Amino acid sequence: MSFFDRFKKKDNKKEEPKVDNKEKFAVKKDATAPSLCGCGAGKTAESVEANYSKMADLGELLPGAPPGGKINLAIYWAAACGGCDVSILDTNEKILTIGDMANIVMWPIAADGKEKDIEAMEDKSITVSIISGAIRNSENEHMAKLLRKKSLIVVSYGTCACFGGSPALANLVAGGSKEILNYVYEKTPSTANFQKDYHPGKPIVPQTKCTVPEGDLTLPTLFDTVKTLDQVIDVDYFIPGCPPLQESISQLLKAVVDFAYHGVALPPKGTEIGVTQTSLCDQCPRHKEFRRITKIYEPFQVNIDPDLCLMDQGILCLGPATVGGCNARCTRAGQPCRGCYGPTLEVQEHGASAMTAIASLFPVLDDDGTIGEDQIIDIMSTIKDPLGYFYAFTMGKSLIKMAVKEKGGQ
Amino acid sequence: MADFEPRIVAFCCNWCSYAGADGAGVGRLQMPTNFRIIRTMCTARVDPEFVLRALSKGADGVIVLGCHPADCHYIGGNYRARRRIALLRLILEQYGFDAKRLRLEWVSASEGEKFQNTMTEFVNTIKALGPTPVQKEVN
Repeated sequence: MSFFDRFKKKDNKKEEPKVDNKEKFAVKKDATAPSLCGCGAGKTAESVEANYSKMADLGELLPGAPPGGKINLAIYWAAACGGCDVSILDTNEKILTIGDMANIVMWPIAADGKEKDIEAMEDKSITVSIISGAIRNSENEHMAKLLRKKSLIVVSYGTCACFGGSPALANLVAGGSKEILNYVYEKTPSTANFQKDYHPGKPIVPQTKCTVPEGDLTLPTLFDTVKTLDQVIDVDYFIPGCPPLQESISQLLKAVVDFAYHGVALPPKGTEIGVTQTSLCDQCPRHKEFRRITKIYEPFQVNIDPDLCLMDQGILCLGPATVGGCNARCTRAGQPCRGCYGPTLEVQEHGASAMTAIASLFPVLDDDGTIGEDQIIDIMSTIKDPLGYFYAFTMGKSLIKMAVKEKGGQ
Repeated sequence: MADFEPRIVAFCCNWCSYAGADGAGVGRLQMPTNFRIIRTMCTARVDPEFVLRALSKGADGVIVLGCHPADCHYIGGNYRARRRIALLRLILEQYGFDAKRLRLEWVSASEGEKFQNTMTEFVNTIKALGPTPVQKEVN
């Protein structure tokens, strides 16, 4: 009796009819794909409430194993913090019955599947691979490619996998991986002292290969730039969010359950699951007035009015440029949007989009016709670290993906 | 390096600067031919994404030309544009670009000569800066 079997409902224990393996994934023609977006493309403004991403109805609990036997599920993290893995557990009690539906063949944070187990599997034998995190080193890349080979569906899960996330800000270190390793192992106060005390003159830094009496030890190679998952492999679905909302996960789960149990067609390839067609402002309940920014505040510097738009209060919010889907959790709590859900569907450059919106909110001055460009630069310089602010989560997907170095001309 | 011919993208607003460029052409004013003009209805139509896209595709410099302040056909378009361009210059500096690679200038419909001077000057600036630091994408 497996761990998950204990949570199985009694009435679900009846045997499911066996289906020929060939028909296991045959898609029923008449079945329709479930709408995954919070609001469909053809939907009119029925109500504001309808704009909110909702939990997909998964029924009480999953009804035992799928007709064709359990599917294989792999969950992998690349350059990620682990928050995405934890967010998968947010499916509450449903996570327990996922064991009925699927064999979790790999989940480094929770299960015992190893690389060699995946390598031993047949191609396309994993139904769904959920990969979170950006691609930052050779191991990430290798595993992403391996899982792509073995999987029918690859889901790019979380902002790091979809847009690079905060790891991609490392692209702005002009010296690349060399400078990063040098700083981390030799320059930070803790490591500098350690190296000085224990390895004076010859700092110990990680090598990709090291020979010890027992044999060779290897470490993955750190790349100079952080890549998004779809820059390395072909990705079927995207779920943005840092971490993705419970609602998005339930929608993915529902699509997979419908596919595995009833043969319902999957949503079209490339779908972003759990996002709306409009920007975050549409989901944000705050009252918008004549938004003009004359002075910028951090959220801790002001008493935030709970009903008024944060931009009206001088707090920079990336809501206008960010796609909806998160139900405006941050702005409801009085924190500005940092843009983790990424750009709206038609836009590639999230940062430029946010910057355009925010720069226009600085009011036209009475003497605007006569002042010089230097004064305008002074005004705009009140935004500290614009690159880091506007591209906090989407550097990996931006048009200019890394720091550049002027070489000088004639 | 001596024979470096920069490639420059010039965004001109329909009402002033494009007419100014036209005037420069009709007046047969001599100027370098390193720039390609893209006509937009207003400088405010120039999304910073356009500039970043131009730079990412290998443009050595980008110049945005519009109506003088208080002269915008759409009343306030150039005020917005100058704020965006100012912010974009800060961002380009953070990327490691020389901010001189992006320039905003006001050229009215009658200022063919100013157009000539601006473009000549800008081409010389970019020539002095050298080719774009953006590397061609490997993949």
